Amino acid sequence: MLFFASFVCLFLLLSLTTVGMATSENEAAAKVSEAENAVNSTYEAVLEAEKAGANVTGLLSVLNETVGVLSEAEIAYKNGDLDGAIGKADQCVTVANGILNDALTLKSSASENAQMIFWSTLVYSSVEAGAFAIGLVLVWGWFSRRYIKKLLKMKPEVASDVEA
Amino acid sequence: MLKLEDYRTVFASVGLIGVLLFASPTLGLVLHLPGGEKFSELWVLGPGHMAEDYPFNVGADVNYLVYVGVGNHMGCSAYYVVYVKFRNQTESLPNATAGTPSPLPPLFEYRLFVEDGKSWEAPLRFSFSDVSFSENRSFVGSLMMNGVTFNVDKSASWDVENNGYYYQLFMELWIYNVEFQAFEFHNRFVGLWLNMTGV
Repeated sequence: MLFFASFVCLFLLLSLTTVGMATSENEAAAKVSEAENAVNSTYEAVLEAEKAGANVTGLLSVLNETVGVLSEAEIAYKNGDLDGAIGKADQCVTVANGILNDALTLKSSASENAQMIFWSTLVYSSVEAGAFAIGLVLVWGWFSRRYIKKLLKMKPEVASDVEA
Repeated sequence: MLKLEDYRTVFASVGLIGVLLFASPTLGLVLHLPGGEKFSELWVLGPGHMAEDYPFNVGADVNYLVYVGVGNHMGCSAYYVVYVKFRNQTESLPNATAGTPSPLPPLFEYRLFVEDGKSWEAPLRFSFSDVSFSENRSFVGSLMMNGVTFNVDKSASWDVENNGYYYQLFMELWIYNVEFQAFEFHNRFVGLWLNMTGV
């Protein structure tokens, strides 16, 4: 009877340990995956900011440090250092979210700036092109009047070999 | 003397060219001409940052150093992963024709962001341990890279043609595809042949 009770206790203890380990492994996997997703989203935001014309050198520099931590989290997870993986993944998510906000702000200001540059360029180009066209039309008007006047002042000449 | 119609054609041509010239700043913002070829570079350099003195005859418990580099010419900032893998002569390399990576699991990885036109370089320090030899075979138990130990448990037979027990440490370049929101093999890989010479 005592042997059976000991066996059941040992079995329950082992089961709980296994469940605990599995939970910890699942938690670590989920954290690393969350960190990966956070970095991916941040990169996409940084890329959009760059396409909008923002200077993202500073953001990429911080992001490079962050993915270094993500790599460490991945390697720690593969090597069974679950606590290390969770800690590094958490650190990664926090920094990545901070960069994401910076990237969104940068993108919005770069978009506004790009739009302002576009409209001012459009206005200046249109004014310059319009002024040039009007100027050319005025010159053409002056030139054609002068040409016709000159043509009218010309005296007809009769060649000597023309039959009367 | 030119006719008035001829002068009109000259004026119209000058006008058209002038208007296009004045509108060119705006056209430059709206029209985007196709850029040059988009590609990435992946390289391995020796301990002196030169393409020389690569480790070749290697042994157990000796530290080796190479540098891994990536260059970005993709037209925008790129997010890369360099996977470091280890194989013997019978295991598969990536297939450059099919554009598929090696099926071997990566041991070490570098994640990096590189701006367009810029490059990145990092050291790769590695050493072998649990190396043994028996009956024309060599065994490598562990490979340490940048301070992290990996159990590799690889064996290589004696290569009669090249006189050695050959392994290869190779790196694959993967790039993050924004459209698919996933990394994909970028069809770039480089490797170092290593001849295991002693315990």
